[in-house]
Amino acid sequence: MVNYLIVLFAVTLIYISVAERFRIYAGLMGLQGFLLFGITLLELQEVNTTNLVIIASETVFFKGLVVPFLLFRIIKKTGVYKVHKLAMPGFYLLILTIIALILSLVLSKALVNPYINTEYMTIALFCLFTGMLLIVTHKYILSQVIGFLVIENAVFILSLAVGNKNPMLINIGILLDIFVGVLILGMFALRLKPHTLELTRLKD
Amino acid sequence: MAILVFILKNRTITKNIIISYILLHIVFTAYCWINLNSTELVYFTFDSAGVLMLAVLSLLLIPTVYHGFVYTKTDKTRNFNIYHTALIALVTSMTGAYLANGMTVLWIFVEATTLSVAALVYHDRTEKALEATWKYVFICSVGIAIAYIGILLLSFIYGRGDAPILSFSSFLNLASIANPLYLKIAFVFVVVGFSTKMGLFPMHTVTTDAHSVAPPPISALISTTLMNVGFLAIFRVYTLFSSTVILPFMNNVLILSGILSLLVAAGYMLKAKHMKRMLAYSSLENMGLVAIALGIGGIGYYAAFLLIILHSLTKASLFFHMGQFFRVLHTFRLDDCGKYMKLHPAGGLIMLTGLFGILAIPPSGLFISELMIFKGLVFNNQWFLLIVTALLLCCIIYALSTRVMHIVFSDPRDIELQEPGIIKPAETISQFVLLGLVFFMCFYQPPFLVEMINRSIVALP
Repeated sequence: MVNYLIVLFAVTLIYISVAERFRIYAGLMGLQGFLLFGITLLELQEVNTTNLVIIASETVFFKGLVVPFLLFRIIKKTGVYKVHKLAMPGFYLLILTIIALILSLVLSKALVNPYINTEYMTIALFCLFTGMLLIVTHKYILSQVIGFLVIENAVFILSLAVGNKNPMLINIGILLDIFVGVLILGMFALRLKPHTLELTRLKD
Repeated sequence: MAILVFILKNRTITKNIIISYILLHIVFTAYCWINLNSTELVYFTFDSAGVLMLAVLSLLLIPTVYHGFVYTKTDKTRNFNIYHTALIALVTSMTGAYLANGMTVLWIFVEATTLSVAALVYHDRTEKALEATWKYVFICSVGIAIAYIGILLLSFIYGRGDAPILSFSSFLNLASIANPLYLKIAFVFVVVGFSTKMGLFPMHTVTTDAHSVAPPPISALISTTLMNVGFLAIFRVYTLFSSTVILPFMNNVLILSGILSLLVAAGYMLKAKHMKRMLAYSSLENMGLVAIALGIGGIGYYAAFLLIILHSLTKASLFFHMGQFFRVLHTFRLDDCGKYMKLHPAGGLIMLTGLFGILAIPPSGLFISELMIFKGLVFNNQWFLLIVTALLLCCIIYALSTRVMHIVFSDPRDIELQEPGIIKPAETISQFVLLGLVFFMCFYQPPFLVEMINRSIVALP
């Protein structure tokens, strides 16, 4: 079952990399939150109940509900629905995403370790590469925040892989959500006008 | 103390709390120095490298608070208190990061520094400040997430549930039996991640915008003690893996990152039009040199520590001075600056001595450290690297010296100067003292400093 969820997660990553509408991003981030919630429940069998409840509820509440809700609000308030025209065309991004997937497979094969499943390693690396691609190839800061959220999910998946032995590592990784909160609130503070979404006031 | 400052809406009480905090910090540093290598509260160890950086922080804390008082003199009490709450949080986080004896604890404190710096960069509440703060938090968040992936990869070589803090001492034996590919990837992630704090290429952009708008005393901390946090994080992982087969790989990564940092710094400094951005790129240059020094090994290790300590003192004095600079010239735009020596002679002298100090021109103490780096390059027969480094340094010397000379002696290019503000001579004392220390160390390095640096690098090959 976990493997199905992981494969579904990979599909959402490919979809994110080629999507051109912010609403799709927001929806997919919510879906990823729920998939991570499912993976958490199925994977963390050895963790004590209190810790499991904290991790699972944080995942479903913050990643699955709060973040997508705030993203939808930002999209509605800014009125910016499509990614910037200077963003790389979807076709090229798709090719780069597939290269990232192959690279993740090769790397995780080379990094075989008794303490981690290869599936987790592969999907975490793929998630990391996809997040970086989004940050590098898109111009609007909202796309870049989505890129960071994807990287944060990579951290979460990787920490789940050792979660049964070191649940502390998941709890620490969750601290990254503070930054997500700060960044999203920062976007509200930026007055959410389309031109402010490029942040080009400060130059040499 | 930070909570007290935030809750109590009284400037005098805040000032008293901050002064008490400085004293407490100095006493704590002395305690750490006396109890070297002891462990407290499980998660903190007073090792030489950490205590050395802590001492630099304690030394810079006094002028930072003093110049902070001057900078926030006209602020509303609320902003004044938020500034000092965030300052206490930042200093405490940096202290924790210096003394942390495990990867995860170190990471948590590094994360905490980002949040406190964000509050400080946003101090002026302008649109530019907001943009700079957002960029700072964003790039740092990405960097910290990448660093955490590096730490998680390290946890896989650890693979046991009995040490969730991933202490440095527990890695010593495991690193040598781990898959080298793991170590290489983990090292790259850690370097890229923590370079947001050290200000190294490829995450060097993180602080440049923040410097443009941050209060000068905060720029001084971001460019010195906070960069030291990043350096220490990378240095600790480097030390852990230095006994493994990946040492040459780590050296190459550091040298490449160092050279690219120098290249970027030289390129931007040649076209920079903002004084504080200029100083930010100078920090990038110096961190590049530190990375090269670590990468060449041998004498370079000592040079890296000496350089990072002296850079902290020199750059802090220059950034402290930027507060007075702005009050005299009312701008940081290089084209609009000029006649500084005439308008503020003490400030002009600081700019000139600071220029000598930061460019490592004798009798600057930085000259000794850079000489050691070049010696190391000659010993290692790395002639190509030596030539490239020397050429890039020439560009940087040209860029910085022409601009500072223009500010100090020439007329402004575009506009008439406004009426200069009044500066108390006492405000320049801290800068003269710090620069005096830097010049003094060209002739004499105190034995306690030499011993501490040597102890810090004793585990390296």
